[in-house]
Amino acid sequence: MKKILTIAACLAFSAGGVMAQETFPRNGVYDERAGLVAFTNATVHTDYKTAIPNATLVIRNGKVEAVGANVKVPAGAVVMDAKGKHIYPGLVDMFSDYGLPEVKVERRNWRASPQLESEKQGAYNWNQAIRPETNAVELFKIDSKQAAELRKQGFGTVLAVHRDGIARGTAALVTLAEKRENEVVLKDKAAGALSFEKGTSKQDYPNSLMGSVALLRQTYLDAQWNANNPQKEQNISLTAFTQANNFPQIFEADNKLNVLRADKVGDEFGKQYIMKGAGDEYQMLPQIKATNAPVILSLDFPAAYNVEDPFDARRVSLEDMKHWEMAPANAALLQKAGVTIAFTAHDLKDKKDFLPNLRKAVKYGLSEEEALKALTATPAKLLNAESMVGSLNKGMLANFIITTDNLFAEDGLILENWVQGEQYKISDVPADYRGVYTLKLGNDTGRKLLVSGTAEKPELQVIAKDTVKGNISIKGNLVTISFAESKDSKQSIRLSGWVADKNLQGEGQLPNASSVKWVAAYSEAMTEKEKKDRAKKEEMNAAIGSMIYPFQAFGQAQLPQQETILIKNATVWTNEKEGKLENADVLIKNGKIAKVGKNLSDSGAKVVDGTGKHVTPGIIDEHSHIALDGVNEGTQAVTSEVRMADVVDPEDINIYRQLAGGVTTSQLLHGSANPIGGQSAIVKLRWGKSAEEMLVENADGYIKFALGENVKQSNWGSTQTIRFPQSRMGVEQVFVDAFTRAKEYEQAHKNYNKLSKREKAKTPAPRRDLELEALVEILNEKRFITCHSYVQSEINMLMNVADEMGFKVNTFTHILEGYKVADKMKEHGVGGSTFADWWAYKMEVKDAIPQNAGIMNQLGIVTAINSDDAEMARRLNQEAAKSVKYTGMSEEDALKMVTLNPAKLLHLDDRMGSLKTGKDADVVLWNDHPLSIYAKPLKTFVDGVAYYDLERDEQMRKELEKERMRLVQKMLNEKSGGAKTQVPRSIKAHVVHCEDVQHSEEESYFAY
Amino acid sequence: MKIHKRYISALVALLFSVPVMAQVPAPAPKQSKPMLLKGATLHIGNGQVIENAAVGFENGKITYAGPQSGANLSGYEVVDVTGQHIYPGLIQPNATLGLNEVESVRATIDWREIGDMNPNVRSVIAYNTDSDIIPTVRANGVLMTQLTPVGGTISGTSSIVQLDAWNWEDAIVKADEGMHLNWPSMLIETGNSRADERLKRMAEERDKTMLELEKLFRDASVYKAGKHNSENLKLASMTGLFDGSRKLYIHANYGKEIIEGVNFAKNNGVKDIVVVGARDAVAVSDFLKANNVSVIYSGVHALPSRAEEDVDMPYKTPYLLHKAGIPFALDYDLSIHGTRNLPFIAGTAAAYGLDKEQALAAVSLNTAKILGIEKQAGSVEVGKDATLVVSSGDLLDMRTNNVTYAFIQGRNVDLNNKQKVLYEKFDNKYKKQQQQQVPAGATSSSAGK
Repeated sequence: MKKILTIAACLAFSAGGVMAQETFPRNGVYDERAGLVAFTNATVHTDYKTAIPNATLVIRNGKVEAVGANVKVPAGAVVMDAKGKHIYPGLVDMFSDYGLPEVKVERRNWRASPQLESEKQGAYNWNQAIRPETNAVELFKIDSKQAAELRKQGFGTVLAVHRDGIARGTAALVTLAEKRENEVVLKDKAAGALSFEKGTSKQDYPNSLMGSVALLRQTYLDAQWNANNPQKEQNISLTAFTQANNFPQIFEADNKLNVLRADKVGDEFGKQYIMKGAGDEYQMLPQIKATNAPVILSLDFPAAYNVEDPFDARRVSLEDMKHWEMAPANAALLQKAGVTIAFTAHDLKDKKDFLPNLRKAVKYGLSEEEALKALTATPAKLLNAESMVGSLNKGMLANFIITTDNLFAEDGLILENWVQGEQYKISDVPADYRGVYTLKLGNDTGRKLLVSGTAEKPELQVIAKDTVKGNISIKGNLVTISFAESKDSKQSIRLSGWVADKNLQGEGQLPNASSVKWVAAYSEAMTEKEKKDRAKKEEMNAAIGSMIYPFQAFGQAQLPQQETILIKNATVWTNEKEGKLENADVLIKNGKIAKVGKNLSDSGAKVVDGTGKHVTPGIIDEHSHIALDGVNEGTQAVTSEVRMADVVDPEDINIYRQLAGGVTTSQLLHGSANPIGGQSAIVKLRWGKSAEEMLVENADGYIKFALGENVKQSNWGSTQTIRFPQSRMGVEQVFVDAFTRAKEYEQAHKNYNKLSKREKAKTPAPRRDLELEALVEILNEKRFITCHSYVQSEINMLMNVADEMGFKVNTFTHILEGYKVADKMKEHGVGGSTFADWWAYKMEVKDAIPQNAGIMNQLGIVTAINSDDAEMARRLNQEAAKSVKYTGMSEEDALKMVTLNPAKLLHLDDRMGSLKTGKDADVVLWNDHPLSIYAKPLKTFVDGVAYYDLERDEQMRKELEKERMRLVQKMLNEKSGGAKTQVPRSIKAHVVHCEDVQHSEEESYFAY
Repeated sequence: MKIHKRYISALVALLFSVPVMAQVPAPAPKQSKPMLLKGATLHIGNGQVIENAAVGFENGKITYAGPQSGANLSGYEVVDVTGQHIYPGLIQPNATLGLNEVESVRATIDWREIGDMNPNVRSVIAYNTDSDIIPTVRANGVLMTQLTPVGGTISGTSSIVQLDAWNWEDAIVKADEGMHLNWPSMLIETGNSRADERLKRMAEERDKTMLELEKLFRDASVYKAGKHNSENLKLASMTGLFDGSRKLYIHANYGKEIIEGVNFAKNNGVKDIVVVGARDAVAVSDFLKANNVSVIYSGVHALPSRAEEDVDMPYKTPYLLHKAGIPFALDYDLSIHGTRNLPFIAGTAAAYGLDKEQALAAVSLNTAKILGIEKQAGSVEVGKDATLVVSSGDLLDMRTNNVTYAFIQGRNVDLNNKQKVLYEKFDNKYKKQQQQQVPAGATSSSAGK
């Protein structure tokens, strides 16, 4: 009975708020009220830049009716005096999952059998991560708890995004009022949503970031094709994708690099995405700015790390430490650079951190005006909702907050949050009891109480002979106090009482169980000095260290510059017909090799003494997997659509480490998990530059193929026996099939392109297929193959398939049995890029020999030694030297295997690989014979820039330690100041080989 | 019928095939007469170098090692190695050579036994003297190895073998010399709530393992073989730890793990402790020194552990250990195909601060001392086994490493191996092809004759 009554009461209550539910039948009498309210004497911020003092705000029917200084209160209005208070437009969060079902992402166990096809039934897309048919508005349900949480932070309107999949469908703009869904939805489709995360999809493809990029690109193409050829295929997803494209597109990017990656996809298809960022955008400010993308900023600032234990503290990386310090400045840095910003509370685990963190962002340099804009006008405009929310002009929704003070003031409180004319009380004006009190405890008057902190959360110090911290809580009129008797005592004095005028008084209990009467007489307000100290401390904290490029250990505030360098009197390994020159000079100018010879001079050059030293061309690694966010999209047998260039990570420390080993250029290859892998990226190790800037200009395109045990999944466990091929027999068929399809594809496009304009209008255009396009490029010698290979049968096979299908294999990589078919390789004109002496790690390398490179080279095959290993790449010169040892190869030939020959294999020998006038100044200065174990680079130049310099490196080590020390001290202070800390994090990046199926940063639980 | 045909073709193949030598060469016969190598630069292994030296040995033992001028040549077969270098045979500790042929093929893996605590399993009995890999390792100057079981918490007992033998019994230099304890990894909190549950489970797991270890060591320390009603193989195999007859190799990398592990062993009365892996050894060098613990450092050709570390940290760690006064040796971190590159690890250590002779010691005499075989191996000194290498150039540099002789206990070891055979086979193929093609003119003129 009681229960029924409660429900009835609820219904009645909610009916009172009903304003416009015209289509719904009523049970009972109508109770429509206009909700006419006038707020007087307030400072009304009608928009982010306009504040009207002593203004009146009139609302009716959930909308603003009038606002201004001279507004008359209409008859019949409820008047609320808001004297001394501020009224702001309700805040807008344009990235929220409010009211939507939770997205539970379960990663499939890698040992489980693969899921090759979509499990979603119906006329949907082939890939489960493409779910543009999702409309958030259809899933949306009001959630009182979430709504209250967000309203407490001042929000009135949010964009509800269903964060599932790569194409996520549409998002709905809703208010946080607790009415019927029909009333709170402001825009059923306010935006389209995208990401690189496949969400709940357990389908194998894509299992890499580059796969996500490729899938999204292909989806754009498929949707266009589908829209133009509706008769070809009924596809709900593609139709929905095309429709969702009509709205502003919000892309959730979980780090700064993904912002850039997403923007590139957007550019390709004429879309300017709005980015949901992660908070690290300031670390690549110029590039982020260049995207022109508005960025929705996270206010999730990392807590200080607990660095008390010096051993454990080593686990905190420099970038994490610096990010801790700089994250609050992200918004200010972006905004000042001209990036349009908005804020979201989405990433905050505890939404209560929103206002404090927003204020922190202001303290770190963002103007209050801009902060408010980012929460009102900007999101409203980006979502085309500026006629409804984001300001408080006539006709707008009555969404506003009433605050005690300026919203950004440290102690400012939100008192009420009105949404669509509905009132929600947030907090009461707290009584402020801060100040100094003289405590009389029985007859003892020896103590003073110092109440500080905030009005809401007062803190207590008891000053006597010792100063001890105590606890005070004041609720309504009632006071509870406790503190230790003395500094060393564990005995507490506990007081209970009430507020009497400005004084506190009551009864208490002493540690000896006797009760006592007490009075705390108010003597003075919080001292000015204390206030000042507090402000000063905050100011100090807002000082941040300098930006470094890249944002990583051994990054620098200033990148090294191109110089004119003259290396004098060194042994110069030219790799040209002059061979090795003794006592020779090398002049580097404008990033090129200006001259090689004897007795050179240049008045503007910085002279480097090369006496007793050696100069060689920079080392080129034909087979590398460093600087990548992911190596394998090993899900399908053919993934030629994926591109390593999409996932270059310019901040990988291995770039710097390899510069220290003399490497200047690397081919970043896809892994070997499938017969036809992804497209390579060829980069120069320009440490500190962006991914785009690292790519070698106008380099030919390459692609990874693979044969043998990896592609047939021989060593992947007993569950990986489903994907075709599982034998070398099948591998051949994958190639024949792929190129047969590619030829048909090419023909279909050729036929179409030959048609006249009129015929074209009548004929449906063939679908563009990114996978087949890459293969057509191979057939047309616009893309070149580097093929992972081991045994002679498969090597032979691919050359035969190539001949039959009309393409050439450019390079066999690994090619450990190249020595067995070197004559055939020579005939086919293919190069070999191999290991010096690896073997015995699997069945297909049991016949590998360290003389392999020697034989291939002897037969005139362009032969290189590569690394496939981030560590060994630092010693490639020594790996080349092993051919001198095992086959008596000449030293000059050996050096060529890691310089000129890989340059030839990459078709870059016109620019790199030898020391010749006009070639790129990619040059290494060694302290010793470059093939010797005792040699180490003193300087490594890329384009004439000394990206590595041993002396500078030693200096940087010291500075790095100093910077870490500074940050450690700052964190310790923060901790002793009572701030939250987090335990040191340790994320280990895999050292990737091409065998690795998935490259993911893995959180390691082990100390080492 | 089919079978029959195949049989015949196999027979035909046998008849016509050139008698290629076996891929694993036969072990060298026992030293039959005294030998003297003269004219070389002798790198003793203890830091000393003697130019123009001679080394004599008889019945497998070194009888002379010093200046050529002081050698008594009578009765010796003299081999002139002028201009070359003589080194002690290098010793690879912490390795699975001969316990595994192909890393990815389970059937060839004999270094891991099931179960977590296997103090009683003995690696030596699985040692495959006919491994194709072993001869390739010898050819670079590595002549001894420590057969190291891997995995679990206590992976078993290792033995030292020399690399030229008919069977494992003959290969033994020192049997069952040490037990290998993989110190349970310390767990760290990640601050990631999603990981918390798993982390908690792992922490419980670790606690359990630690308790197991404590019980095992406690019980073993009071165990007296033969005096119990029922023999316990595990406990019996551990008794040597407490009288110093068997070493305890603690595999640990994190500084705190090293401290924890060593303290655990000491508190349990273990006499002879070696830390293996030891990536953080420099950071805890004071502790190691105070506790008189030696180190087998595994990570020279490795990446720094953290981005913030000096880029050459792994390369210079041997030097830093030397400077700190820690007795240490170097290994190749269990990689089989890396085993033959042991000399070059020492080379790298020399490039980054260590004196070349100290670097040599780190793969010879230091190793022998740490493994407890310094009385018979590790340096070229009178009375020790004549296990030594002659190289035409600096052994520690791949540019010059060229082993011309290897002697194990005085036996002149065959330096051929499967890879050389394959090399010759195909090199000959191409040479013949070229002979047929290239001298077109020459052929026609000879045809004219």
